[in-house]
Amino acid sequence: MIIAVASGKGGVGKSMLASGLALLFSRERKITAIDCDVDAPDLGLWLGTKEWDSSEKISVSEKAFIDQEKCTLCGKCKGICRFGALKYAKKPEIIPYLCEGCGLCVHVCPGKAIRIEPVQNGEVMFRETKYGFPLVSGQLYPGETGSGKVVDDIRERAKKFGGELTILDSAAGIGCPVIASLKGTDHAVLITEPTPSGFSDLKRVLEVVNHFGVDYSIVINKWDINKEMSRKIEKFAGWRLIGKISFDKGIFKAVSELKPIMETDLKVVEEIKGIHKKLKNVIERKAS
Amino acid sequence: MKRIAITGGKGGTGKSTFAVLLAYKLLKEGKKVVLCDADVECPNDHLILGKGLEFPEPVYQKIPVIDPGECRKCGLCVRECRFNALFQLPGKPPSVVENLCCGCGLCWTICPHGAISKRNKECGKSYETRIEKDFWLVTGLSSAGVEETGPIVRDTKIRAEEVAKKVGADYLLVDTAAGTHCDVINALMRNEKAYVVTEPTILGEHDSELILKLLDVIGIPKEIVLNKAGVASKKGVEKVAEKFETKISFEIPYSEELVKAYCRGNLRGLDLL
Repeated sequence: MIIAVASGKGGVGKSMLASGLALLFSRERKITAIDCDVDAPDLGLWLGTKEWDSSEKISVSEKAFIDQEKCTLCGKCKGICRFGALKYAKKPEIIPYLCEGCGLCVHVCPGKAIRIEPVQNGEVMFRETKYGFPLVSGQLYPGETGSGKVVDDIRERAKKFGGELTILDSAAGIGCPVIASLKGTDHAVLITEPTPSGFSDLKRVLEVVNHFGVDYSIVINKWDINKEMSRKIEKFAGWRLIGKISFDKGIFKAVSELKPIMETDLKVVEEIKGIHKKLKNVIERKAS
Repeated sequence: MKRIAITGGKGGTGKSTFAVLLAYKLLKEGKKVVLCDADVECPNDHLILGKGLEFPEPVYQKIPVIDPGECRKCGLCVRECRFNALFQLPGKPPSVVENLCCGCGLCWTICPHGAISKRNKECGKSYETRIEKDFWLVTGLSSAGVEETGPIVRDTKIRAEEVAKKVGADYLLVDTAAGTHCDVINALMRNEKAYVVTEPTILGEHDSELILKLLDVIGIPKEIVLNKAGVASKKGVEKVAEKFETKISFEIPYSEELVKAYCRGNLRGLDLL
C-alpha cells in the first residue's frame, strides 16, 4: 500500500505531515518513507537527520557532447535544438543545463562530431531512522534534467525494503516529479492552506489526481489563519476532509533545531494523530 | 529594460509575495513593470493581486503524426526515441505515446521514408492582465497531466517579452516555480539578476543552497531575500549568503498584517521593502 502526500502549492506542510504519519504508522506496521521532492528534499530534516548511512550516484539522463576536432563547422546543427541547448556562434556549443539528451543533433551531424552520453546527475540516499524505519531520499543535482526519472528510480530502489506501507512525500507543483510520485499510489493525502493560492493549487493538484484516478483525502494546514477561507475549503472537501492543523510559530523553532515535530508538545502532535487515525480506516477499508 | 527573476528552491517561502511587493515598489518609483508568472503548474500572482486571468492564448507543443500509408515499419524511430514515446507492435506502424513525447523532433527528422509529420498539441495557455496603469501581468498555465512544463514557461516568457516591448516597460520580473528543474531553469534564463527568496529555517537554508548552486551554474548574479524574518534566527541564512559570496538585500518580517493582505489579495500599500 502506498500513501502519497501532495499539495500543488509549496510550503503548505507536506513534509511535516509525511514525517508525522511515517512515525505514527511505523509504530504499528513495517513501513518505508520516500522523499520524492528530488529538487529540494527536506523529509530527512523533518525526521531530525542531516546525515545519511549510504548514498549512491545515479544516472537518469543523457547529454550531448561535441568533439570540436571532428567538427567541420558545416552548420547543419544550427537552430535545430528545440530546447535551445545548442548555441552556434562561431562554433557549436552545448549548454548542458538545457540539454534534454534527445539526440537530434547527433543525427543531423554528418561528421559524427556529436555524441550522446549518460551523465551522473543525481543521488539516492538511505537512512535507517532512529524510529526503526528506512528513509529513502533522492537528489537531482541543480541544473540537471530528469526529476521524474529520479523519482521512478528511488521508488524502484525503495522496493527492496519491503514493508506493508510506503509513505511518499511528493514535490510541489503538478508536473513531471509529482506525476511520477502519484502514479501507482493507492491514496493521496492533499494538504492545503486557507489562502486563495492554497485553495487554487489544491484544485490544480486535484485535476492530476483525478486524471490518474487516485483516491484522495484532504487536510487543511494553518486552518486558523483564515477561518472564512477554511470554511470554504471544508465545504469543498466534504467527507474527504480528514483533519485540520493549527498555525503555530513553535513549528518553525522545532524544525530549526532539527527536532522532529512529533517529539514536541505542540498542538500539531494531537492533530496529526487524528489524521493518522482516519487514514488507518482508509487503509483498512482498502485492504479488505 | 531590466530583467529580474524571483526564485527560491523551496516552496512557500514567499516568491510571489516578494515579486508583487517588488513590482509595487518599482511602480512607486515611476517605473513601468511587467510581471511574468512562470510558475505555470500553480500560478498564484493574479490571486495575490486580486485579479482574474484575461486574454487566453493556447500554448502548443509539437507531436509526431505517423502516416500509416508511407510508413515501412522499419522501427528506426522507435529505437532512436530516447523518451520511449513511440511504441510499435510487430508488423504495425508505430503509435505515439503523447504523454511521454517532449516534441524534440528526432523522429520526423530521421524517418527515411518521410512518413512522420508533426501537429500542434495544446499543452497550456498564457494570459495577459493589465493590473493598473503601468503594471501588466503575463501568466502561464499548464494543462493537467502535462509532464514537461518547460515549453509553457518558454512561450509565456516570449509573450511577456512582447508585452514589455509593446508597452515600453522598464522592468520585466519573472516569478519562477519552486524547485530547480527544467521549468525553473527556463524561467531563469536571460535574467540579469535573481532574487532567492528564503526563510530563516533549516529548510530554507538547505533549499536556498540548491538554487544558489543552480544560479552559479547558469551564471546569473544572485541576491537573497529573507522572508518571515524573525520567526527564527537568521544566522544560517547569513552563512549561506557568505558561502555563495552574496548578501541579504531585503528582510521581510513575519507579520499577521502581511498574511491577512495575502489572503485578501491586496498587497498594495504595504511598505515592506
